[in-house]
Amino acid sequence: MVIEVRDLVKTYGDLVALDHFNLEVKEGEIFGLLGPNGSGKTTAINCILALLTMNQGTIKIFDQPMSPDAYDIKREIGVVMQNVAVFNELTVFENISYFCGLYITDKKKRAALVEEAIEFVGLGDFRKFYPKKLSGGLLRRLNIACGIAHKPKLIILDEPTVAVDPQSRNNILEGILRLNERGATVVYTSHYMEEVEQICSRIMIMDKGKSVALGTKEELKAQVSMDESATLNDVFLALTGTELRDK
Amino acid sequence: MFSHVFVYRLKSIIRDRQLVFWTLMFPILLATLFNMAFSNLSKAEEFVKIPIAIIDNEAYQKSALKTTIAYVSEQDNPKNNMFLVTLTTRAVAEDLLKNNKVAGYIFVDQVAKLVVKQSGLNQSILKSFLDDFNQSSKTFSEILKRDPSKFQALQADAANRGNFLKETSSTKNKPDTTVNYFYTLIAMACLYGGYMGMKEIIAIQADMSPQGARQNLAPVHKMKVLLYDLSAALVVHYCTLLAVLAYIIFVLRINFGDQIGYILLLCLFGSMTGLSFGAFVGAALKKSEGVKIGILTGVTMSLSFFAGMMYVDMKYIVTKAAPIMAYINPANVITDGFYALYYYDTHTRYFMNLSILVGFFALFCILTYLILRRRRYASI
Repeated sequence: MVIEVRDLVKTYGDLVALDHFNLEVKEGEIFGLLGPNGSGKTTAINCILALLTMNQGTIKIFDQPMSPDAYDIKREIGVVMQNVAVFNELTVFENISYFCGLYITDKKKRAALVEEAIEFVGLGDFRKFYPKKLSGGLLRRLNIACGIAHKPKLIILDEPTVAVDPQSRNNILEGILRLNERGATVVYTSHYMEEVEQICSRIMIMDKGKSVALGTKEELKAQVSMDESATLNDVFLALTGTELRDK
Repeated sequence: MFSHVFVYRLKSIIRDRQLVFWTLMFPILLATLFNMAFSNLSKAEEFVKIPIAIIDNEAYQKSALKTTIAYVSEQDNPKNNMFLVTLTTRAVAEDLLKNNKVAGYIFVDQVAKLVVKQSGLNQSILKSFLDDFNQSSKTFSEILKRDPSKFQALQADAANRGNFLKETSSTKNKPDTTVNYFYTLIAMACLYGGYMGMKEIIAIQADMSPQGARQNLAPVHKMKVLLYDLSAALVVHYCTLLAVLAYIIFVLRINFGDQIGYILLLCLFGSMTGLSFGAFVGAALKKSEGVKIGILTGVTMSLSFFAGMMYVDMKYIVTKAAPIMAYINPANVITDGFYALYYYDTHTRYFMNLSILVGFFALFCILTYLILRRRRYASI
């Protein structure tokens, strides 16, 4: 098992963000984590990555307990966060090289990986650009390159396509499929049902800090007794309701 | 790993225009403004020859005052160049006095008499000079009345008046209060290193910046990354400090004394104190970046004020009224370090200031380490 989460509880004061949450991600799959705003997707990921403290539960990655000092595990993880996490004073090349250098100390190996990452996200013409000069889509691609340049075995992408145009989104999704083909296990969170439907082999729908459904898209449709013509969006609304969450 | 992080952080800091402005350009601008303001102040303290008028009558021409006035108004001798003399009639002298062209006028009758319009420094000097002359003249007349044979001896004495007071300076360099303003300015520039220290703390904290979150995910101990980051920040800040210092010394021609090695050492410890102070504020306060910067700016300016940056006597007021405040104010300690180098022959006070700065640096580093070492985030 690549990720194994058992009985995870995380609270913010009186608010229960994760309520005895369980998760298993198998090697080689693209695992989709779906849920409305505030359902606990990002909190779950931050707990899994040992960025956040948790109230209860156990987390294992590559069958090893995850902790802030678990550097051998961290070396094999690549994370593409919701917020673009790059330094504005460094160029595209320098940003990717800097973050890659935190994982790979060998200069030659690093240089090759950085070049590969630049080519992978299609930023070859922008290597000397500063982030402020990049469009939203290019910035997202830079964010992805910074997270995956060191060729991790597990890649976690937290809503990487927020606020990008359809062309860039398509490019990013194709990239994720290629990463998976290269052998990486992928955990993918998104609001966009069609994205998850397009690339994920298994999907978990979360609501109020709990898993409400898990399976392939066909299995999910079967769980709510919907026919073949139903979309994942219909399944999602059937499971999480139509009540507004950002009130 | 060190060189990798160090080089990229160096690039990142140097390219941060806002940071470069506050740590380099702002102190240079302030120093230029200080220089413009204080150059007039220094000129006001210079001795300017006192313009006087003397009534040119027969009594004056026969009087010993004529020789004495000639002696103390030698154009080519700066030591004996006190008065700018106009020999004239009484009417013109009155007119000159009325129009403030002269500080006063002298007319000789039985004795030399002074006429002034108002009291002031020049008038006091003029009166002292004339009182001294009249007193000496009277003394000489009395002696000669009793023993005319003393004439030669008196003449020699008058020409070589013994000075029984010797002017010595209690300080190594010439006292100049304006240099203190520049010392506090350098102290402020040292504490502005806090912005760099704070920036580095924000860049490694997952709950303060997305970059911090990404760095926390990397397989490197974050205290190690912070140490490398702060090393780069120290190099940049120390260089900006040296640039400010060079501008003040070589362009503005402000005298910092001749102990350049000690000055550079003080700047280094000042820079380290400033950086560690900013890092501590950044780590200790659970506020947004804007609020942290605001607090750091406010504290730095307050410390600089109490060190005498806006009012030079504030340093002495604080030292007298609350000596402990003077010792716990890093800006004052740095200022005092420069002050000690400029004025004192010994280095006791300088090294005491240096030790205090080392203490501050160690304290801020330990506190920052204790706050950050095992921090995991309750929320991001």
